[in-house]
Amino acid sequence: MNNPYQPIPAKILEVIEETPNIRTFVLKPEEDIPFLAGQFVELTIPGFGEAPFTPSSSQFEREKLEMTIMRVGRATGALFTNKAGDVLGIRGPYGKPYPLDKFVGRDIYIVGGGVGLAPLRALFLALVHEIKKYGRIYLRYGARTPNDVVYKKQLKEWEKIKGVDIDLSVDSADGPWERKVGVVTCLMDEIPCDVKRSVAVVCGPPIMMKFVTRRLLEAGFPGESIYLSMETNMSCGLGQCGHCRLGPYFTCKDGPVLTWEQIKDIEEPFL
Amino acid sequence: MIYFLPNERREKWVARLAGEFNLFLPVQIEGKIHWQKYDKGNFAIDQLALSEIRAAEPIKAFLYRPREVVATFPKPIDPAQEMSALLFGVKGCDLRGLDVHRKMFLEGEFRDPFYTRRLENTILVAADCPMPRESCFCNLVGLNPFVNRGVDLSITTFDDGWVIEAVSDRGEKLANSAKDLFVPAGEHHRARREEQRQKALGILEAQNSKKWNPELSRAIAEKTSDRSFWKKAGEDCVECFGCLMTCPTCFCFLLYDQAKAKTGADVNQFERTKVWDACYMAMYARVGGGANPRPEFVQRFINRFHCKFMHFMNQHGFYACSGCGRCFTACMGKIDIRNILGQL
Ligand SMILES: Cc1cc2nc3c(=O)[nH]c(=O)nc-3n(C[C@H](O)[C@H](O)[C@H](O)COP(=O)(O)OP(=O)(O)OC[C@H]3O[C@@H](n4cnc5c(N)ncnc54)[C@H](O)[C@@H]3O)c2cc1C
Ligand code: SF4
Ligand code: SF4
Ligand code: FES
Repeated sequence: MNNPYQPIPAKILEVIEETPNIRTFVLKPEEDIPFLAGQFVELTIPGFGEAPFTPSSSQFEREKLEMTIMRVGRATGALFTNKAGDVLGIRGPYGKPYPLDKFVGRDIYIVGGGVGLAPLRALFLALVHEIKKYGRIYLRYGARTPNDVVYKKQLKEWEKIKGVDIDLSVDSADGPWERKVGVVTCLMDEIPCDVKRSVAVVCGPPIMMKFVTRRLLEAGFPGESIYLSMETNMSCGLGQCGHCRLGPYFTCKDGPVLTWEQIKDIEEPFL
Repeated sequence: MIYFLPNERREKWVARLAGEFNLFLPVQIEGKIHWQKYDKGNFAIDQLALSEIRAAEPIKAFLYRPREVVATFPKPIDPAQEMSALLFGVKGCDLRGLDVHRKMFLEGEFRDPFYTRRLENTILVAADCPMPRESCFCNLVGLNPFVNRGVDLSITTFDDGWVIEAVSDRGEKLANSAKDLFVPAGEHHRARREEQRQKALGILEAQNSKKWNPELSRAIAEKTSDRSFWKKAGEDCVECFGCLMTCPTCFCFLLYDQAKAKTGADVNQFERTKVWDACYMAMYARVGGGANPRPEFVQRFINRFHCKFMHFMNQHGFYACSGCGRCFTACMGKIDIRNILGQL
């Protein structure tokens, strides 16, 4: 019998410390979780409950699955006591993936903030996997301090990929930092793509989403080309429990990525 | 097919059904109607409140349990096989709850296997409401005080017996197995039934004579930003959540896990329970780290109207409200949604 509430065991292969409060968990689920970039899973920390997370690894990597997670509360706090060899539960994938077919032939302008780079990494890896299909890929990423930058090594490697343009900023630099200083919108003074023909993809904390969206609209991106990862409370992930209601949507099934066009009439879409 | 069951044979039929199924029926207890299990004639047939309005408890709990273990880890569980239940005397409004839950639990991408199995295993016998009460407004949400779809049998009560119509194949089978008790009914029974049904409708029309805005969902959308309207409408709410817990259509739930043991070998084993939840609760929509999209009660109050009367109508073509009146019957502040909706 198919029980959508049942998690399957997933062993932790490795825990990578990204920043003092963000870790990447490399998991090996007992059964394949065939996710596509943008979809999420429900991760169970046995005895502590579940929380939704977006895989940050490539959808073309089927052997293991990575999630990059920030410690913010109860479930994530418990997760951070887990180490390689421990067993978690996982169910999914849920929600709608990024509509990559609509991205074909267009420039893609990705803006991430903090741990919001996690789902964007899955997208980025899916795009570079078939990079010829798309125009240029721009990645703009902001973190609070140089210490809070995730995927430091990978970012350096990605910059070398032909057709990829990366720019980084931190809100404030206390140590050595060669890139820009300022909130992430400081990377958006000039947007080098043809905004009417490009797509923008954003994920980050609500306040950042709000200002980035404002800037993208100002720059002339059409609302239906701005893809936003919406964070809501979730319980089931299945479109049944009601918790993730955002205006007329259930973000777990209609999202988690929605376009500005879809949410623009919702009162305060960003918390 | 339509049949007639004379008064003196009713008890025999009901007792026979109780031998075959877990039989639940509405009984009047201290002025209120409650679902009771029929066990070896633990009450007389005349105590049966079949001609009354819906019971205090919604039938939702029979199918969608207030709490239920839906998963165990790491070893999975299967939904238990239970003896078939027969709900004897469901009302027109009770079915709206099933329609809402079908949409939420069965017709999306993921099916709830527990709900599926219970629904398959539950036989529904409806009974008309010849005398709607003041709290009833099924006619305003597109329903009738009688049933001719979505059940197995439909009963209309009269002084001398019951007119019974088989509405489904399963109902036809049930009727066939009672052939020795049922009498085939004819046109004049249909006419009597029709007359009684029209009378009940007339009562509802008279007491709910003020019609709602025909574009109610749009009216709600337009009224949303008028916070003083909603604040006033909800000002007597004490946040007991009685309205939502007693509502037959509310579907919200929460999944929560309990560890089998705090330490030792079983520490990784847990049980996952699905419990009814309520969108009025302050923590309902809170996200990780503490941000809350609906921190004020008035926002949560509006959310309930959005869910039931706007989004559900726009997406599924009917209100997620049955007109049963349980919410304001339960309400300590006597907040009557009919008054609120009537002003829009
Ligand atoms: C689609 C999606 C994808 C996501 N992807 C990622 C990702 O890739 N990486 C990442 O780091 N984060 C991600 N998040 C965010 C992540 O899910 C949250 O950070 C996580 O749920 C926090 O869980 P917590 O228990 O640690 O936090 P807490 O703040 O402790 O709790 C949050 C949850 O517990 C409940 N709760 C907490 N306290 C109370 C209380 N006092 N009373 C009642 N209820 C309470 C809340 O209802 C809420 O459900 C994602 C979120 C969504 C929706
Ligand atoms: S609301 Fe309608 S169907 Fe429900 S009990 Fe009242 S009259 Fe009967
Ligand atoms: S909202 Fe009130 S009247 Fe409507 S179904 Fe729920 S309890 Fe009944
Ligand atoms: S999380 Fe349950 S409906 Fe979306």
